[in-house]
Amino acid sequence: MRSALAIFKRDFKKFLSNPFMIMMTLFMPIMYLVIFGNAMGGTISHIPVGVVQEVPPYNDTALFTSASYQLNHISQTNAEKLLDVTIYADEAAAKQDLINGKISAVIVIPSSVSNDNAIRLYVDSADSITPPLVEAAVTRVLLGLGSHNPVLVDKIYGDIKYLQFFGVGVIMMAIFTSTMFGGGIALIKDRENGIHEGYLVTPVKRSSIIFGIISSGTLRAFIAGFAIFWIDLLITGIALQSFQDFFLVVLVILIACVGVTSLVVSFASRFSSQAEYSSVIAFFNLILFMTSGAFYPVIGMPGWLRWITVINPEYYGVHALRSIILRNQGLNVIGIDLIALLIFSTAMIILGIVTYRRTLE
Amino acid sequence: MTALNLFTRDKKPAASNTGWVSVDPDSVPSTPGGVSSGTDNTAIIRINHLSKVFKNKTKTVIAVNDVSFEVQHGEIFGLLGSNGAGKSTLIRILTTLLSPTSGQAFVNNYDVAKDPEKIREIIGVCAQNYTSDVELTAYDNLEFYGKLENVPDSILPDRIWELLKMAGLEDRAYMPVRTFSGGMKRKLEIVRAFIHRPLILFLDEPTIGLDPEARREVWQQILMLNAEHTTIILTTHYMDEAEKLCGRIAFVERGRLIALDTLENLRKLIPAGDLIEIGVDHMDPVAEEAIRKIDFVNAVSVVEHAVTISATNGSRVIPAILAVFEDYSIPIISISIRSPSLEDIFIYLTGKGLDSGEGHETRGSGRQFP
Repeated sequence: MRSALAIFKRDFKKFLSNPFMIMMTLFMPIMYLVIFGNAMGGTISHIPVGVVQEVPPYNDTALFTSASYQLNHISQTNAEKLLDVTIYADEAAAKQDLINGKISAVIVIPSSVSNDNAIRLYVDSADSITPPLVEAAVTRVLLGLGSHNPVLVDKIYGDIKYLQFFGVGVIMMAIFTSTMFGGGIALIKDRENGIHEGYLVTPVKRSSIIFGIISSGTLRAFIAGFAIFWIDLLITGIALQSFQDFFLVVLVILIACVGVTSLVVSFASRFSSQAEYSSVIAFFNLILFMTSGAFYPVIGMPGWLRWITVINPEYYGVHALRSIILRNQGLNVIGIDLIALLIFSTAMIILGIVTYRRTLE
Repeated sequence: MTALNLFTRDKKPAASNTGWVSVDPDSVPSTPGGVSSGTDNTAIIRINHLSKVFKNKTKTVIAVNDVSFEVQHGEIFGLLGSNGAGKSTLIRILTTLLSPTSGQAFVNNYDVAKDPEKIREIIGVCAQNYTSDVELTAYDNLEFYGKLENVPDSILPDRIWELLKMAGLEDRAYMPVRTFSGGMKRKLEIVRAFIHRPLILFLDEPTIGLDPEARREVWQQILMLNAEHTTIILTTHYMDEAEKLCGRIAFVERGRLIALDTLENLRKLIPAGDLIEIGVDHMDPVAEEAIRKIDFVNAVSVVEHAVTISATNGSRVIPAILAVFEDYSIPIISISIRSPSLEDIFIYLTGKGLDSGEGHETRGSGRQFP
């Protein structure tokens, strides 16, 4: 009993001696509650949709005017309105915006109310959450207006299951998780074991040490991301449309890898204990992944959480990969993601070099 | 490797089964390191009034305090001191890992503060802690460091095998270092530091935590490397190690250099004579005083249950000393007589033993022999 008590006392003393770890232990579940709860359970609102009047006639019909108005004013309990309607004069322009990801759906209203004049609904099926909501909203509005036109739904990217929607996000998660845990902890372990100090008494240049560490970490992250990419294609049965898509996927993965590796290098240089690093990185990983849109569309998150997505590189990575793999979109759509990832990676390389260099002094 | 052959000629068949080239450290004290390979009396390291102060919010520690000395080319130079005396800080400054707070240090005429890169090219460092990657094999570790040390690829494989042979680790070349014993790891680290044939080799406590057999093997290795005209700076707190290996010895205590000379000259610091050690249960201060008064007794000190008496021509004084113990009815548990060792010199100079930084204070502090 005495020895059990001694062990108890020793363990507890160690627990109390590290306030940082105590804080992180309490902080994590709370963050799960706040981030996970909000990122997953939020009510989706402000879905951007385009409404267009079928021609002829060349002037707006009563159905078109009232349907657009009704659609734009669908209220939800305890949440903002469901749809943000943009009126298009030209069906082709509306579809182009749908293809470019500016809107989530196009609703084409026919000239008259009759059973053989269907309302055509074009939806971005790469997003598996919003299309059913838009479809339900259209049906509801039509019922309210007493119109009995059938609704023809055109999933412009075919049938995409949630597994496929989520699978693409997992590629980014693989890169972030493998680098943050694998790479960062290995780096701290090397420092603890004096291996980095061993470098410092050799003529090797400081810049070579940093370059070596970042490039090996990048390759490791790339292998993880690339492997998961292929596994994802196999499991979810997605086929890439062109060689250009493949090239763009590789490019996105590579830029993300450089950025994340540099971030981890700078992070790992600030921590001397593996346990502390792991708890902080687990927290970071949670926030980045939850707000990346991999699980659930960013559109369903509360405003404050959406601000995190703006600075979350993983969000841009997931968006870019989803655009390429599921929507076969090109640089015109993912350009902004690439720029964001490049800014992130460049900033992280600089930060990584500066902070790691400081540990070498 | 001609210098090595010089050593392979003499003794020890036992060494052949370890692949270790035979050098018997016991044969060395008469010609300690530096003498065997021949120093050429040019200073390869010069230190002028070097100080290093560590500060944080609550505490200021002077790790190195106004130290000046020179190390000659080709010698084995020993830095001795208790734990925390400042030896490792001094080594870290010389190996460019730390910058001095004040003063100057030159390694092969390069200033540690101005030309650290130049210095790193000509030094080999074996740190106190193992810094080999335990997940890599011995070969991979050596190859990795060979590349960091700019050993040309054309000669690197041969050099690695040469070093593995030197360390007796040929049959373990492709085994992960994780599976090695402490001695094997240490030998690997020492040859690793030597991969680019540095001018100067820094060994920080090279035999700490090793068993006697492994220590002897490491000593052989150090002597072999010195035989290749490498200057070796060695820190240790083992007296026997310094006695066996070092040509000149510097005593460091609380950041200060308190003595620097050859072992022979250091011995002269202690009043001439032998040391008689008598084990007792308790010691009577009056008896201590009586012993002090005996002719030819130079000094008496009492540390716990040991009375140490320094006396000229000790064997002749023993009867008189024993008589005192008899008179005061102090039972003697043991008695021995010997010449002063390096440890005695250290205790004489600092007033404390080497094994602990704080403890082992003898009565009075420092120079308790008169």
